[in-house]
Amino acid sequence: MYGRKGYQLLKDFASGEKGQLKPFNSKLFDETIEECDQNHHLLQSLIRKMQQEDLDVPNNRNADHYGALIHHLSLMRNKRCLMAYVYNRAEIVRDLAWRVGLELLDLPSEIQEKLTSLEKEYFKNHSVALKSYMGKVGIELNVDMVPPKDPYIKVRILDDIDEGIVLSDKTTNFARHSMHFLKRTDAEPYIARGQMEELTD
Amino acid sequence: MSKYYDIDDILVKEEYVPVLFHKTANGVTIDPSAETNCAEQGSKVDIPFWLAHELQLRQAVSINLPACFDQKTRLEVQADAAYVDLRSRCPYFYEFGCKLEPLVTDRTLGILLSTAFKIRYKEALTKVYTAAHITASKYLSFLTKEETNCKPYRFCHGAELCLTI
Repeated sequence: MYGRKGYQLLKDFASGEKGQLKPFNSKLFDETIEECDQNHHLLQSLIRKMQQEDLDVPNNRNADHYGALIHHLSLMRNKRCLMAYVYNRAEIVRDLAWRVGLELLDLPSEIQEKLTSLEKEYFKNHSVALKSYMGKVGIELNVDMVPPKDPYIKVRILDDIDEGIVLSDKTTNFARHSMHFLKRTDAEPYIARGQMEELTD
Repeated sequence: MSKYYDIDDILVKEEYVPVLFHKTANGVTIDPSAETNCAEQGSKVDIPFWLAHELQLRQAVSINLPACFDQKTRLEVQADAAYVDLRSRCPYFYEFGCKLEPLVTDRTLGILLSTAFKIRYKEALTKVYTAAHITASKYLSFLTKEETNCKPYRFCHGAELCLTI
């Protein structure tokens, strides 16, 4: 009661690594909404009680008023916790579009499992907006998030990637554990998904 | 307003403070020692800070200092601020103290916070350059959330990692 569930929801969110998502805690989310309903119900019964006693509800400051006030404040507090939870998750989802890739299917499955269907929808819409903007501006904005020192980098393949990948200047087959010398812009999406690693010696 | 969605701000405000009720409140179960479903006038209850703040604005309660800022902590900070385990007392020691400062009658809270911070900050900077891995990790467990998040302490963490290589 009194904002406790909202707090637990946010503690659950904060207990993850910064910038990393945990699976959407729908159980706690629903319990918080239930707590809001309880607060609302009790608030309404206290207001009704004041109305039955023929008191001027907005101006009368009796014990029922303060009880109703506490329920109202708890409701607002839970609302704030719910909003902050969704907002901070949305921020991480937007960040994924920039860092990892604009296609939902490009995201590693561990990340996809943690998103709800609404968040996936949000990701798709955000990607569409970004793509349309990048198309109009004519520049790919989500490459080179860190200014590169060299246009070409050495990479090692970590995971099995489909054969016959078409890169901007050649077509290659990526065998596992093989090393290649690629353009940074081509390699970046694979590195972001953990399928390649950059060799920095 | 910009802190509405800020997780740390929300978590800080969940810390409990002891309050004294000046008005009765019906239909609420925040007082565990009350027999009826209300908080009586004159009762002392521990409630979360967000609630205490709003109620004090409406003059329904008055806020007292919580235990993490009591005489025992003050004496320990006076003795050796750098090694006091502030995290176990309150993980958001400074933020919480700053929010409480304008609302309580105690005028020495601000001095306590700034003294503690200055001494601990200086100690952390020294540790970055000199500490061995083991003592550094034990030291990090005393730090509050604000201290572990601010850059010199992060640098301290990074230095600890370098020392392990």
